[in-house]
Amino acid sequence: MSAAMRNPAAKPEAAQGPVVAVRDLRAWYRLRLFGVDREVKAVDGITFEVRKDEIYGLAGESSSGKSTLVKTIAGAMRPPLEIVGGEIQFSFMDGTMGLNRAPADLVERVRWRHLSYVMQGSMSVLNPVRRIGTSFFDFAFRHMGLDNAGFEAAVVAHLARVNLPASVLKAYPHELSGGMRQRVTIALATICRPQFIIADEPTTALDVVVQKDVLAMFRSIQREMASSVLFVTHDMGVHAHLTDRLGIMYAGRLVEEARTPDVFARPRHPYTRHLIHSLPRIGDDRPRIGLEGTPPSLANPPSGCRFHPRCVFATERCRVEVPPMEQVAPDHRVACFEKDRVEATP
Amino acid sequence: MFVVLRDLLRYNSEFLAGILMTGVVVAMALLSFVSPYPPLDQFVAPMDVPPSAAHWFGTTSRGQDLFWLLTYSIRNTLAFGLLVAILSRILSLSIGLLAGYRGGWVDRVLMSINDTFIVIPLFPILVLFYFVMRDNMSWVMLAVLTALLGWSYDARLIRSVALSLRHREFTQTAVFSGMRTHEILSREHLPFVLPIVFSTSLNNMNWSIGLEVTLAVLGFTDINRPSVGGMIYWANQHSAVVAGVWWWIAFPVGLVVMLFIGLYLLAISMNEYIDPRSRLERGGGRKE
Amino acid sequence: MTGALLELDSVSKTFTRGGLFSRTQVEAVIDVSFRLEMAKPEIFSIIGESGSGKSTLARIILALQAPTRGTARFKGRDLAGLRDGADRHAFMAAVQPVFQNPFEAFNPLKRLDRYLYATCRRFAGAKDEAAMQAGADKALRQVGLSLAEVKGRYPHELSGGQLQRVAIARALASGPSLLIADEPVSMVDASLRASIVNLFRKLRDELGLSIIYITHDLATAYSISDRIIIMQKGRVVESGDARTILADPKHPYSKTLKESVLEPLAPGERPLFAR
Repeated sequence: MSAAMRNPAAKPEAAQGPVVAVRDLRAWYRLRLFGVDREVKAVDGITFEVRKDEIYGLAGESSSGKSTLVKTIAGAMRPPLEIVGGEIQFSFMDGTMGLNRAPADLVERVRWRHLSYVMQGSMSVLNPVRRIGTSFFDFAFRHMGLDNAGFEAAVVAHLARVNLPASVLKAYPHELSGGMRQRVTIALATICRPQFIIADEPTTALDVVVQKDVLAMFRSIQREMASSVLFVTHDMGVHAHLTDRLGIMYAGRLVEEARTPDVFARPRHPYTRHLIHSLPRIGDDRPRIGLEGTPPSLANPPSGCRFHPRCVFATERCRVEVPPMEQVAPDHRVACFEKDRVEATP
Repeated sequence: MFVVLRDLLRYNSEFLAGILMTGVVVAMALLSFVSPYPPLDQFVAPMDVPPSAAHWFGTTSRGQDLFWLLTYSIRNTLAFGLLVAILSRILSLSIGLLAGYRGGWVDRVLMSINDTFIVIPLFPILVLFYFVMRDNMSWVMLAVLTALLGWSYDARLIRSVALSLRHREFTQTAVFSGMRTHEILSREHLPFVLPIVFSTSLNNMNWSIGLEVTLAVLGFTDINRPSVGGMIYWANQHSAVVAGVWWWIAFPVGLVVMLFIGLYLLAISMNEYIDPRSRLERGGGRKE
Repeated sequence: MTGALLELDSVSKTFTRGGLFSRTQVEAVIDVSFRLEMAKPEIFSIIGESGSGKSTLARIILALQAPTRGTARFKGRDLAGLRDGADRHAFMAAVQPVFQNPFEAFNPLKRLDRYLYATCRRFAGAKDEAAMQAGADKALRQVGLSLAEVKGRYPHELSGGQLQRVAIARALASGPSLLIADEPVSMVDASLRASIVNLFRKLRDELGLSIIYITHDLATAYSISDRIIIMQKGRVVESGDARTILADPKHPYSKTLKESVLEPLAPGERPLFAR
């Protein structure tokens, strides 16, 4: 896919290729100050794509580097974090570094129009002392190219899509319940019909009953707009029911990626396999076994395959060599030397 | 600790400037220990000599060498500031931590006392004490009084931190480990407020020294004990400015201003060190 | 050993909010009763979402709050009558909490072993250094760690799973007969959760410890509980044997709750939010 030389304002209708392509991305925290001297390789060589009209799930536990990856893709990096190598390419803008080295006015035009976010804490997007309607105006008015009356009609129509009444526009954020607030942030993120949405743990703070509603609504709005979503959560249950493809991260690297049902039915990486088998299910009385050992330290990660100290399949080779990400089936990539043995083990 | 100091000096020019200025003042104070003139002696040098090689800062109309007199004065002024800072820290720490941790009626009682001290006008009170005590008013007593009047703002600050610490789970862990209130305050909560205590005590020193200088200039302290404010008082008594003896005023004022700025710079660079975000931005990381 | 270990009898808790003129009453817990037997150690789960009153109930059982109506009794003693001092001391030795966030449960500036030593000294009568170390080591071994692994370490040096084990060991060091675990695994990585859950089961069987497990997570509650109660807006809507209820909930709210749980896909199962 050649570098897209498109005008960012023009919306490509039938985009070929991925909406986002991340190639061999490395983003490290470099700290050398006030007695601290260390390098944390939070994202260390990650390659994946988010295609048009799909929800790509990203799963990982603490110190997997998934939140760093999201920050890097969202262009929300702050000083100690920097991109050390690799590329981020969006279909809707030129350049290979994503938003991170783009000029400010281009970032301004692209945000919300082509790329938007839904975060865990809705309060970080919604200004607590402004009415919801004002927030909509601030974020979206200049991107929509409508007059006042037309804009308001568009907002009300869009709110109806996420099952919210027009009256929320008059409300302040604290007057709404957590679920309604998260709907509002989803409505905000989708009103400009962006091609790409980053959703970072958007339902983690919600109760399960509300979570189910919000996820169903999220899927329906994605389907309608045919947008691409990078959906990040540690909750495998959410991934199972929502995402189309799923990438599993461990210690700053992607270890497995496949269509979501395949990840659950035929995991090839020992870590993925363990993750799935350790989840409890109602009505299933088989004992579950927790993973041994400690999560890796990204400041001082294990050599070779970073999972080897906790892996029952590990061999001498895993200790020294880094397993490459290899295609094992259509849309199924795994980074493990022992993937065949893993698959053969019941 | 050494590395922290080195990095502070390297990346934070305010800290460097603060250290240098405060350092000069402290060095002056230390020189008093090798002074050739006893501090209270008068007419031991020629009068009204402008700054020269023999008398670096000149001499006063009372026959004192200004440089050596100033070393005693700044030593006393610094000692006063330090004593006030230490005493008021003890008060604000114990009251702030206790009020924040216990909450409820303990908090309400302590904070209403605290607020009383915030609103009472301290300058008239100190002057009133001077008129009541007259010759019995020693500098230690003045320091104790100033400390009694100067703990309340910082106690509120410390209380607000302690309030948030109270609701953190580790405080509950400490309670259920059987730790007593004083242990929780001194072992669990104190380390969290120490950085604030450090920077506020620098500010508190500045405040109390300013207060003492003002009182002394107006003659409301023990004027026979050399202090920076006392020197300005005597200079005014001898109409130094009118008589053209400008150095009698200029050097004490210059030195105390230097101390103010030095302590202030140290306090703000400490604040910056405490806040990690601003620390990182200074540390050469690219800003977005 | 007969009689009730813990007995809640129509416990209600009402909070008054607001100022002088606009007071509103919030009923956090309404008329909750249950009973744990001394003779039969069990894992008793309180299930509910945010606002269900489950955490208020935990605070009542830990005697950190007194109920507005009704009584909570531990080994026959009314918890509302506990005064500071010897009574409370004895109560705290017998009823210990495990908190939600293992990264918050210990002071980040202090070494972990202090808490173990303090608990041994105050509650288990350890007189000297050697006795405290022996007590700490014994408690840590019960959770699959040892003093050598924890001694001198700071919280940030351990993983969430290990920290939660240390927190449980600390609670065990006083020799309690009841553990109150409020969402103990919700902040622990999913791959490590199973070991904590298994540990609770082991403590019940080997130490005869009763555990009140408070959670919003039906799946872990199913995997470890003997009995459960499901709470909604302060009221118990369903209670009884864990497997029976969770396999076939009767109350409409319990049904909704169960249907909302997103579980990993079984082979051939269709995702809820498929394209």
